[in-house]
Parts: sequence; C-alpha cells; structure tokens
Amino acid sequence: MIKEIAKGLAFTLKKMGTHPITVQYPEEQKPVSPRHRGRHILHRYDNGLERCIGCELCAAACPVGCIYVLAAENDPKAPISPGERYAERYEINLMRCIYCGYCAEACPTEAITLGPRFEMADYRRERTVVTKAELLESWPGFAQGQRPPSPVGAGADQTGREDLDPGVRPRAAWAAQENTLDHQTAPHPGDLGVPVDVPTVIEPGAGKTK
Amino acid sequence: MAEYKLLTKDFGADGLQTLKGYEKVGGYQALRDAFKKFTPETLVAEVKTSNIRGRGGAGFPTGMKWSFLPKDVFPRYLCCNADESEPGCFKDRYLIDESPHQLIEGLLIASYALQVNTSFIYIRGEYHDQRLLLERATEEARAAGYIGKNILGSGFDCDVIVHGGAGAYICGEETALIESLEGLRGQPRLKPPFPAIKGLYGQPTVVNNVETLCNLPHIVQRGGEWFKALGTDKSAGTRVFCCSGHINRPGNYEMKLGTPIRELLEEECGGIWRGQSLKAFQPGGGSMQVLLPQHLDLPLDMNAVQEAGSSLGAGAMIFMDETTCLVDVSMRLVDFYRHESCGKCVPCREGTYFESELMHRLEAGQATLAELASLADICSNMDGRCFCPLGDTATWFVMSAYKSFRDEFEAHCGAGRCPVRAQATALVA
Amino acid sequence: MTAVAETGTPPEQPDDGRVGISIDGRELRVPKGTLVLDAATEAGIHIPIYCAHPKMDPVAVCRMCLVNIEKFPKPQPACATVAGDGMVVRTNIPEVTKIREGMLEFLLLNHPLDCPVCDRGGECDLQDFTFRYGPGISRFPITEKVHFKKAVPLSEHIELDQERCILCWRCVRYYDEITGEKEIVLQQRGVDTLVSTFDDRQLQSKFQGNLPEVCPVGALTHRKYRFVSRPWDLQRTASVCPECSYGCNINADSRDFEVRRFASRDNPLVDDMWLCDRGRYSFDRWNTSERVRRPVVRSDDESRDVTVAEAITQAARRLREIAEEYGAASIGVLGSSASTNEELFLLERLARQVIGTPHVDHQLEPFDGISAAEHELGIAEIEECDTLIVLGADPEEQAPVLTLRLYKAERKKGARVIRLSSDATAADAAIAASGATRIGLIADETNRAHAAAVATALGAVGSVRRLTITRGINGRGAKDLGLLPNVGPAYAALAEPGKNGRQILEGLASGTMRGLLMLGPNPALEAESELLERAVRKAACVVAFDTRPGIVSRYATVLIPGHAVFEKAGSVTNVEGRVQRIRAGLPPASATPVETRVLTTLAGLMGAVGWGSGDPLAVNRLLRDESPAYGRAGNGGRALFTAEAVA
Repeated sequence: MIKEIAKGLAFTLKKMGTHPITVQYPEEQKPVSPRHRGRHILHRYDNGLERCIGCELCAAACPVGCIYVLAAENDPKAPISPGERYAERYEINLMRCIYCGYCAEACPTEAITLGPRFEMADYRRERTVVTKAELLESWPGFAQGQRPPSPVGAGADQTGREDLDPGVRPRAAWAAQENTLDHQTAPHPGDLGVPVDVPTVIEPGAGKTK
Repeated sequence: MAEYKLLTKDFGADGLQTLKGYEKVGGYQALRDAFKKFTPETLVAEVKTSNIRGRGGAGFPTGMKWSFLPKDVFPRYLCCNADESEPGCFKDRYLIDESPHQLIEGLLIASYALQVNTSFIYIRGEYHDQRLLLERATEEARAAGYIGKNILGSGFDCDVIVHGGAGAYICGEETALIESLEGLRGQPRLKPPFPAIKGLYGQPTVVNNVETLCNLPHIVQRGGEWFKALGTDKSAGTRVFCCSGHINRPGNYEMKLGTPIRELLEEECGGIWRGQSLKAFQPGGGSMQVLLPQHLDLPLDMNAVQEAGSSLGAGAMIFMDETTCLVDVSMRLVDFYRHESCGKCVPCREGTYFESELMHRLEAGQATLAELASLADICSNMDGRCFCPLGDTATWFVMSAYKSFRDEFEAHCGAGRCPVRAQATALVA
Repeated sequence: MTAVAETGTPPEQPDDGRVGISIDGRELRVPKGTLVLDAATEAGIHIPIYCAHPKMDPVAVCRMCLVNIEKFPKPQPACATVAGDGMVVRTNIPEVTKIREGMLEFLLLNHPLDCPVCDRGGECDLQDFTFRYGPGISRFPITEKVHFKKAVPLSEHIELDQERCILCWRCVRYYDEITGEKEIVLQQRGVDTLVSTFDDRQLQSKFQGNLPEVCPVGALTHRKYRFVSRPWDLQRTASVCPECSYGCNINADSRDFEVRRFASRDNPLVDDMWLCDRGRYSFDRWNTSERVRRPVVRSDDESRDVTVAEAITQAARRLREIAEEYGAASIGVLGSSASTNEELFLLERLARQVIGTPHVDHQLEPFDGISAAEHELGIAEIEECDTLIVLGADPEEQAPVLTLRLYKAERKKGARVIRLSSDATAADAAIAASGATRIGLIADETNRAHAAAVATALGAVGSVRRLTITRGINGRGAKDLGLLPNVGPAYAALAEPGKNGRQILEGLASGTMRGLLMLGPNPALEAESELLERAVRKAACVVAFDTRPGIVSRYATVLIPGHAVFEKAGSVTNVEGRVQRIRAGLPPASATPVETRVLTTLAGLMGAVGWGSGDPLAVNRLLRDESPAYGRAGNGGRALFTAEAVA
C-alpha cells in the first residue's frame, strides 16, 4: 500500500518540472495537421481567375447535400473563371457538412479544398451557411491595386494560415472579414423555398379607393 | 513480248480519239452487231457466258451484277465509274485518252443490254482533259447517230451524260458516286437497298468500271465463249496493269490474265531499276496488301492473288526496291486515307486520323513499342467495322506490311529517325 | 432458315408475319421488318446507339451498335439490319465488347471532354456509354486534339459546340426527315468534318428546340437552359404542354421550385416526341412571381384579406343573395379553356344544377351547331388519310406540331397535303381533293362553320373526317363538358340555350345580369379587357378564381387564388379528345386548396349533396362515372362522342 502511494508521488514529483501539455485555447492555438479537413476554401488561379467553373460535381458528390451551386455564363470580355462557365452562387451549409472531403475529390479543377479552420460555431444559424464570398481565397493582386477579376470581391483571407501569427485570434480576422460582406447580395438557400411569405401583390388600397 | 493486246490493240492508230479514226479501225461495228445479233436478254446472257469480272477492284462478275436488276422497273440507269483515284492506278485515264469512243461504244452496248435510256460517265475532277475529250467524243457520236433517239435504226434510245466529280476518292465507291451524281455530299449510302434495286434517283442502277465497259465491244464481236477461253478459269480476259514504282519502264501494260507476275515485271517493266532487287510490291493499288518477292511467280489471276493474301484490285502494280522503308510507305498511304475519308462513319474518320498520327510518330522514330502494338489494335478495330470499304482498306497495307516486315517496324520504335532511310543513305554514299 | 432446320425445329412455321430470332440466347418472335436493334430492346438487351433514332431512318454511321450475327462475315449494325428468320445475334461476346471499346476510343479522340461545363453532362449518351462500355483509357499519344469552334449561337434558342459533336447526323436527318427543312449541314470531310449551318445562317425553323433532344451529346444545347441546372438537380413532372390545345406530352423539369425547361415525353399518338419552340420555350412564363396569393373579399368600401373558408362562405352567401333577389338566370358562369376537366366538370354542375342558371360558357364567341363530328379525326389518324386539307394558316399556327405530323404523313405514307386559304370555297376544295378516298380536313375554331360546308362538299369525293383545332390547353374539354350556352355535357342539345360569353359580359355591363362566377385565368376574356372591366365593375357580385393580378383580381367581390398548370393535378383534353393527366410539379403560390376542393365546398354551402371530397382524383372518378365518353377514355384514351364510338 505505502509502496504504491510512494510510486504515485514519485511520478508526480517527476512531472512537476516539465512543461504542461494543456494549451490555453483560444488564446493559444496548436497548429492543425496539413491534412486537416476543416472549413472549405475556394481557390483562384495565379492570374486571379476563380478555379471553380460551377460544374456542380462537388454538390453531386456530397453525401449530405450541403452544397448549392448555381452556374452562369462567363462574359468573354470580363471572365470570372476560365472557359464558358462559372459559379454565380456557391453555398455550403457548414452545419450539415460532415467534412468528408468528397467535394475536393470530385472537383475537376481543384477549386475546392478543405482548409485548416475548424471553428465554425456561430450565434446565428443562417450565418453557418457560407457563401462564395466567404469561401473564396484572396488574391495578392488586390493588394497591388489590380482590378478585381471577380465581382465577388476579395473574399476571405484563408490562404497561408500558417503565416498568421499564432497569437492572432482567428475570430478577430473573421470579424473583419464579415464586416466586408454584404449579406444582402448573398442570399441563403433558405430564401429559395416556397415564397409564401412574400406579401400579396394585390394593392390593399385598390378596393378602398373605389 | 508478253503483252496481249485486246483493248489496246489499236492504240496509237492515227486519230483514234476522233470518231473517224475509231471507225477506221472497225469502231462501232460491235454496237451494230449487238443490235443485229442480240436481244437485250441474250446480250446479258452472252456477257454472263464471257465470265468477265468487274475491273474496278472488287472483281464481281459483271453478268451477275446485271442480272440483279429487277424486271420491269424503269427507268434504269447505268453509270460508268471513271472516278479513278486509287493510288498507283492510271489505266482508265489511258483507256479514255487513247480511245474515248471504245468506252462510249461499250457503254452503249451495256445500255442496250440493260435497257437503259440514260447513261452517265462519272469522271473524277482531276481528269479535266479526259473529261473534255469524252465530251467531244459524245458530241461526235451524237452527231453520227450513235447516241440519241433510235440509234442506228434499232429503235433503242440512249443518252450519254458526262459528269465531272469534284475530286474525292470516296466517289469511286458506287453508292457515293450515285450520291455525288445526285448533287449530294459524296458519301456512301446505306446498303441494302443495293443500287441494283434502288440507286440513282431511287431507280435500279448499275455502276461499271471503264475497263469493264471497254471489254464489251470485244465480247460482242468475238463472243462470250472466246473471251472466257482467254485467261484463266476464274479470271477471264485481259487486264491493263498500271506498273509504277522502282522499275525501269513504268506504264500501262495489257496482260492476259494468268500470266506470271514475274513476266510482267521482267519483260514489260524491264525489272527493278538501278540493278537493285525487289523488296515488296503491291498488286492492286494503294489499298491492297503488300506481297513479297516470292510471290512473283503467282499468276495474274484474281483468285490466286487473293489466296496469297492480297488482291489484284484495280490492277495497279507498285514495285518497291530494297531501299524502300515500308513504314514510310505505310505512313504516306495512311495519310492519303486520312485525307480522303469522307467522315461519315466513326472508325474511318477517327481511325485514319489515329493511324496517321501514330504512323508519323513511328516514321520519325518517336513511337514506343506499346504504341506500335496499339497501332495493330487500332487497325483491327477499323477493319470490317467501317461503313464502306475505304476504312477497311486503310488498314490493309499497314497490317500486311507490319506482318511481313515486323522487324523494320520495331526498329523504328524509339530510334529517333527512320533507320531504313539512314541505311539507304549510307549505301548510296 | 437453315439454322432453324438444324436445331430441329420444324421449318414449317405458320406464317403469322413474324420471324423468330435469337439474341444472346433469348428466343423471340418479332414482326417481319423489325430491326435487330428493336428486337433486342424488346428482349431487354441494351445495344448502345448514337446515330440510330427511333423516329428516323437508319444511317448506321456511328458503328456503336455492331453486333455479331451468325453466318455474316462481318459484324452488322443492329440499327440497320432487319431481323430474319433463324437469325442468331450475339452482343455479349468479346468481339462485340472490343468493337464498343474501339468505337468509344475513336469517338473520344477529338472530343474535348469538357463534361464539367457541358450542359449535357449527366444525361449524355457519350458519358453513359463510355462509363458502361468504354475502354477506360485512351492510347492516343498526342494530347492536342482537333479543335473547332465552341459556343456558336445558331439562333436565339440553339447553341452549337462543334468540338463536342460526334457527327451522328441526327440533327441533319431531323431536318431532312422530320421537319422537311434543310438548315443544318455537314461541312468538310474526314476528321475535319463539322456540323454547321450553310453560310453561317441563323436557324429559322419553328421546331429548333428538338435539336438538343435528338443530339446524343452536348453539341446542340438550349440557350435558355445554358448552365441553368444539372439533370440530377431537376425534378421531373410528367405533364402536358400548356401552350396550345394539341396536348403534347412534356416533362416539366424544375429546380429550386421554378420550371427550368420542358422536355418532350414521347407519345406516338400525339406529339411523336416533337415539341414546337413556342411551347417548349414558354416554360418561364410559369415562374412569374406576380401571383394572386391570398383570398380577398370586397364590399363597397373595403377590401380585406380573408381565410379561404371565409371567402367561400362569402361567395356562397352573395351568390345566393343575387339568385334570390334577381333570379338564378341573372348569374353568369364562365369557365376557361385553361382549366382542368375536373374543375370544368364541377363548374358546369354548379352552374346548371346548383345555381340553376342557363348562362354558361367558356369563351366569347357563339358556338352554333357544334357537334362531335368536328373532332372526329385523331392526330395519329392523320397518317391514315391519303389527302389532307388544311384550311387557312391558322391551324398550323395555333398547333405547330401538327405541321410535323402532316409532313410525316406526306413523307412516310405518301399522303397529299393541300393547304388552302381560309376563304377557299367548298368547290375549290373539292377540285383540289379530286381523286382522294380518305380525306382529313383540318380547320381552326374561327373557320369551323366554313369547314363544315367544305366537309359536306368533300363528302362527294371521299370519306371525310374533321379535326378542329380548339383554343387553350383545354378548349376541347370545356366543350365536351358542356361549358357552352347551347349544348350541355356530351353535346346534348338544350331546350333553352343560355347566353354566350359576350352576352353575359354585356349583360353584366348593362345591368341586366347581376352576378358572375368565373374560373380563371381566361385568356379569351383577357383579350377583351375593356368589356371585361366594364362587366366586372358593374356586376353586383363577382366570384372569381384567378392566378395573376389583373382586371378580375382588382374588382372581384370574392377572389380566390387559383393554381397554375404545374401546381395542380387533373386532366386536360386535347384537340382530338385525348384525356391526359397533368400533375403538380411546383408548390402552389398560395396556401389555398385547389379549385376542385373550393368548388365542392362552395356547392355544398349552396345546397348540393354527395359531391365528395373535391380531391382532383375523386372528382375525376365522378367525372368518369358521369360521362361515358370520359369513362371509356380513362387516362390517355380519346373521349369520343360520335354515334359509332358510342356503339
């Protein structure tokens, strides 16, 4: 009995001098594995054009149906992606996503990958449906004052997460990013349902004025 | 001399291209005889007796072809196929050049036998001079009453129309010829219905080669039995062979069928040039399989050549000497087929393209052995799968050359250049 | 034949016009002249095809369907080989597998493989067959393909991608064989062959929309459907084209609750799988957000949104008040040629049996002397006629797909198609049709009286059958079901004819009539907006169903939101009397019950008993019990009212 207690105390004493394993999250963050499958990133080519061509294969491959893509035709004079087709809308329901990575596997242009970011909690349910503007990676050309190739704008700065100072709290970066977003122009799939809530188009006053 | 002159016996006579000159050597006598001695039915029977086979390439018995026409369906049409485009083939041009009236007479005899009132001569676009010659000859014949209403008082009417093609190899295929003659895109038609049942303008139609028709006056004059006795059992009569390649005296030579090929090469063509030896030869024009020196003793007989794995085809003999690179020849022939493929069916359109791209790589010494193996497989995917014989024949030479000269093909793989040509250059130097 | 003898089967088979054929060991007897391809399909054996098309003659150029047939030296194209007695066909042997792999390798040599951006991706035969029969890899050592032009607009409807084309000839043959126009040609030859229009002209045809459907790949695509959706996103609803009364069968494909395209749904008896551009490209008309969404009740000084229940109660009360005060005959009832049979059936009963008014109609023009003989000739029976007379240009303008059926009769059956101007006299027609034995006479509604006279004159030449092109998707149903002032259901003569549509509206405008019950939308009335507005403003009570805001919705006393075609189930009757189902494919724009339910409830409140639940299917059963012709027609059959049909 005493022998066991002594043994336990000895172990404790031995460990007293070593560094603790616990990290003070969220103040401190451990780097995630390079193969971590977190929040999705939509990539660009070096010239700023979007890689995504709106083919919807990610949506087709998605086992839970959390991806919504609406394609449109590129204007040859001001293309958004190379070729004829681009994704006009690209939305992922992060609450429904199971982070399996099938979308990245299915993508013919390597436009979508799963990134290192794993903090997806939010106070507003609808904000967990992320739009193309939020998913798209930024383009260095913006910083050099070049004309944005995509009307969607700069997009979220998700590239080079490892370059970020580990002391920077990601949430602050997100907040900055969210301020740049125009939620009015980025509708959610929830809006696409039966438009029963649209008010009647009959002018209410039509009968009265008669 | 080993030559036996039947069609070409008067060639070189003074003014043979004109009606007068032709009549001087007994021209149009056969047509008179045909009207006098034969009814259309007996004339068809006589041609059947003669055992003459088509001279265009396939070698189908002409009499049998004629008997496929349904009875009592009129009008019928006769087309003379003068769209001679087979690589190495120039006998029709020779026959027309030397004696256009012989063809017209043959055409009229066939028209009488088949009861055709409108006959066409479809001549390839590049034979411009020959076309003018034929047009002049038909005018002359028309003026002399050989063409038109009530020919020579026989009560038989026949008009002859010379139509120039636009220079497509495929229009030598009978259904493509008919399409082209109708003013459509020159592409083969789906068979059945065969032209004998539903051909030009939906009517029964016979398409015969120039040389076949040129034989008819002689069959009429000398009789089917006489003609049958000429040549061999299965191949009656004579044929004009277009000899070209590495020989001392290229040209057209009319030979009795059954004569050994060696005789044609050594006596008529004067043997291989520059004292070199024969490496290979093609007995039937660009489409046909390659034969080797040991085949020189074969008789000029359609069946015998067929048994050796090739065909007399349109009668174009191409001889190649020892400096020839068979890969190079294959490449050039495949390029020809790629260019001439009409694009109607998939295996021919895409297959010839595939073949040609591979052959170019092979000749340049860039191809791998795996690519060479795929070439053989591509060819097997085309042969027998195409809509018309063009695509099939595009593989025949390549495949036979590959079979006979496998080492040469394999030596090209990864060589970075053509090894045969390199060797030949070295020899000359 | 020898094969049969060898296997020991008695060679003396009774000649029943059929031949015995064996495909992959499956024995079956097919009619003489059947193609091996069709026989295989019947035996449940799939043979891949690109150039073959069920509605066109074989060309046998794609060589995908090559099969091994015993005693044939070479593989034969199943699409062009006629099944012979004792034929032994094999499709499951290595030779055939190799052929298919070889052909697909060839086809993909110069195919751009841009499936991710191709509209056809997901429903492309080249994709499907490559997946099923393809070789998996290409042995072609050269990566650069032969390039052609991409995204060439051929017209406002059609886009051409020459690279994707596999040169199957279907589009060229479609113009040759189906429409008789020649707009698409093949240019160049060999591997450079490309499909184009002559001289880069724009397509003019009224039937271009069928091109993307005959195209087996994504070479010809709809410009209106460009990058709109993937086939797996689409919800497919089998329905009937709502653009005219011809009743072409369609699939209404919707995504995100909007109709994105109409695809043809082959019904050999009606459309023969072809649609006209007017119908095919009318789909976005049904996606409008301008809709009546809530029931409204109006009195002199107020207008308020109400529940459906209240709206129905108000409607019943007000109609009853009018009937009590001014008599039932002061109420007019107007159906619509855009409504379903079920709605029209209930409306007619409600009008004549419950309200008791004789003034029932569905359009403005008077329809005197209407008889079932006007609709006798069936669409497929057009091919049985040796002479077809079309009076005026209107029939083909109103029902464009008719043109294709006429051309088919002309091309395949050698029929004579005579197009006369609408004012041609009966004598002219008789001269034009001389020598005919079986005559088909086609006219539209406006010329129906004239057509009757012409038919009488033609009776001296040969037997005559008539086809009248009615208006609206269900103009024929409205007539069959008695939505006419002078005849009741099944064209039964009425002792006392009521007022026609125009008279009802004029009566309302002048105050001689007081109430109106109308089922909308009614394009015939909307065309006369001035008269309609006067009538509905003056009327004491207007009970209206409508889908879109307009005059009616603005002034109706009781307004109940209607359901558009793709929001409800039911049946519609086409020009030849074929009763065809339509189905709900979109969620309704309003939360109100379907019209049949509302009408049933309304009738119940007005005293009717035993009308059932009002569910469209239940109403359909009632209708079939009540109308023997519709009972016989069932779903997809023809409702005929002629004496022979009844006998």
